[in-house]
Amino acid sequence: MAAFTQTVRSAFTKVPRWVYLTAAWVLAALFPVLNALDLVQTAWIRVGVLSLLFALLALGLNIIMGETGLLNLGYIAFFAFGAYTTALLSSPKFDLHWPFAALIVVSALVAMLGGFLIGLPTLRLRGDYLAIVTLAFGEIVRLTIVNVPTLTNGPNGITGIDFLKPLGPGVTARLQSAGLPQAVSNLLTIDKPTEYYYLVLVCVALGALLLSNLKNSRVGRAWNALREDELAAVSSGITASRMKLLSVLLSSAIAGFAGSLYAYYSNVISPESFIFMQSVIVVCMVVLGGMGSIPGVILGAIVLQALPQVIRESAGAARSEFEVYRMLVFGVIIVAMVVLRPEGLLPDKLWRGQAHEADPRELERTRQTLFDLEEGEQDLEA
Amino acid sequence: MIYALIALGYTMVYGVLKFINFAHGEIFTIGGYVSAFTLLALGVSDSMSFATLAGCLLLALLGAVAAPVIVGLVVERVAYRPLRGRSRIMPLLSAIGVSIVLQQLIILIFGPTPITMPTLKIASAAVSLFGVRVRVLALAIIVISALLMVALSYLVRSTRIGKAMRATSQDMEAAEMMGIETDKTIVFTFIVGSALAGIGGLLVLMYYGSLKFDAGFLYGLKAFTAAVLGGIGNIPGAVLGALVLGMTETYGVSMDLGLIAWLVVAGLVAGLYVQMVRVPRHRLLHIANDRRTPDYERRIMNVYRLAPYHAVKTLLGERTDALLSVSASHAVRLTVGNIFLAATAAIFFINGSARIDTRWQPVIAFVVLMVILMFRPSGILGEHITEKV
Repeated sequence: MAAFTQTVRSAFTKVPRWVYLTAAWVLAALFPVLNALDLVQTAWIRVGVLSLLFALLALGLNIIMGETGLLNLGYIAFFAFGAYTTALLSSPKFDLHWPFAALIVVSALVAMLGGFLIGLPTLRLRGDYLAIVTLAFGEIVRLTIVNVPTLTNGPNGITGIDFLKPLGPGVTARLQSAGLPQAVSNLLTIDKPTEYYYLVLVCVALGALLLSNLKNSRVGRAWNALREDELAAVSSGITASRMKLLSVLLSSAIAGFAGSLYAYYSNVISPESFIFMQSVIVVCMVVLGGMGSIPGVILGAIVLQALPQVIRESAGAARSEFEVYRMLVFGVIIVAMVVLRPEGLLPDKLWRGQAHEADPRELERTRQTLFDLEEGEQDLEA
Repeated sequence: MIYALIALGYTMVYGVLKFINFAHGEIFTIGGYVSAFTLLALGVSDSMSFATLAGCLLLALLGAVAAPVIVGLVVERVAYRPLRGRSRIMPLLSAIGVSIVLQQLIILIFGPTPITMPTLKIASAAVSLFGVRVRVLALAIIVISALLMVALSYLVRSTRIGKAMRATSQDMEAAEMMGIETDKTIVFTFIVGSALAGIGGLLVLMYYGSLKFDAGFLYGLKAFTAAVLGGIGNIPGAVLGALVLGMTETYGVSMDLGLIAWLVVAGLVAGLYVQMVRVPRHRLLHIANDRRTPDYERRIMNVYRLAPYHAVKTLLGERTDALLSVSASHAVRLTVGNIFLAATAAIFFINGSARIDTRWQPVIAFVVLMVILMFRPSGILGEHITEKV
């Protein structure tokens, strides 16, 4: 039996990594085709869009939690910043209708500003205190949204957010009156789940590309070094505060971006979408997939967002009761993963991470990859 | 004051294990639920004789202690012990997972509606004290907390197991080498902490009459705030922190905003002064030792007290003296901070006559938590730090 598993495992590992990755992306891109062929209901495309949105969010959290090793329990607040910025500037609430291109940037910037404000004073705190402070921050943001109805409509949320017009409302209207073919002018307004699906898929792909490049850059290595051993990292010449702030800014910008897309997609936003549990769910996605592993995090998000829906469809359980079991399973997953497999489902190569009783040789290798490269000594290693 | 009991448990566990037991709030809720369940099952009512009533309450207390202790032990064994020796974040994550699991289990077992306890006369009885009517229960809670605080202090300071706890907290490996069974000590800590949470659950239930499944989250966080406020790991500190937090919450909501504006202004002035004095002290290290006469230091300090002037100069690019001037980034930070504070104060002044709405009450605790963690994580009475040498 052991020999058999060994064979299977080696057969799987022989296939190069990029084959799996390409296959995954192609499968993801082909998913809506199943809908076009009437094999899958449109509802599933919606599930797909939400899964991908959460994948984007988890990617953002991964920067701060996975790469830099700072636990952020109020991450959903930055998502809320993005969503509310978009909602306020493109809805009948103040009768503002900013174009998409501007809003997506502004939303990311607003979230970034939030990240800056909270990051500046807190980043020097110890890991567990930082987690609690971010939790408090997340709750304060949510309660403020609830308590300032003049701006945010309080618990009722903001409704009637504009349709997503990639070219902006003005240009779109002009082009439509110019008499374009139906198929083209349909594309000027993104309102169907399939269109959203591809939009978000592209965003996730771009995000993953950006992050994987960043990961192998000087900055990424500095983050990983800070995660593994802050003292050693600082001794090798990394400015801890600047690097940490950078990771907070980037991750909050991604959350704001995702929040903006979410506001457009769902058309209605309310404070309920930004409760503490949502933050925990995103954390859970990152933990499940593997902290610091980009494919892992995306997988984690898709599994945790889509799988409950699949199970609910097949079991046909009542909504409230199902929610209880869903959260129960999330809690169990976090504990089980942290205790049994802290490196996640698809572990990152450089994960020594406070994990198992580490193999000393492996530990040494991680340290060398991280710190020696920092000092430009990779020649010695080779 | 109720926060005190929960905060005591938090502090106990933190003091020994140095990690935040996030599930503590849920353990508290379980205590409340089990005692309510016991009282309901026994059919307690005022028509009972005093002896049976007391017996029933004692039984409820027993349940309120036993159930959390069992849960606490299981949680420690399953979710915390395997993680010992890892970084601070891992056990915290695990604790969050546990807290979710426990909360959902409460819903599954007792249902999502809040559990209410039968109305009893003793729960609502009140006496007149210095002309103010106070509920007997409130007095009881204060007395119980104070007694437990004294008892715990004695336990940690003067008993054998307390010594073991302190040793474990200081250096687990060394403690083990000295023949202390650290596992047993930690288990004991969890027993005490969970029992305290359970008693807290019972008292809250009696005081408010009902308890909801997610109450533990907020109570847990507030208790943690209280513990940090008083200096985490510090037993009298937990009680003091709970008092301060409770006061802030109660009087904070009814306070006049104009007053808060003055407080903010006072804080602004004090904060500026502290910053002025604190920053250069560390900058002074750059000055050659022979030049650091007390007189010279005082002169530099005086210059720094006038820092805004220098900050402006630095911003304009006119660096007066490399040693004396404030660095540009420091100046920017100061300016931004002051503008922010001034804006806050201005907003409060404009709304001068208004009062903080009760809706903001939960926010107060969170703000206190953030502020204390950011600016003085060691708390009022100081953290009980015994660092590894």
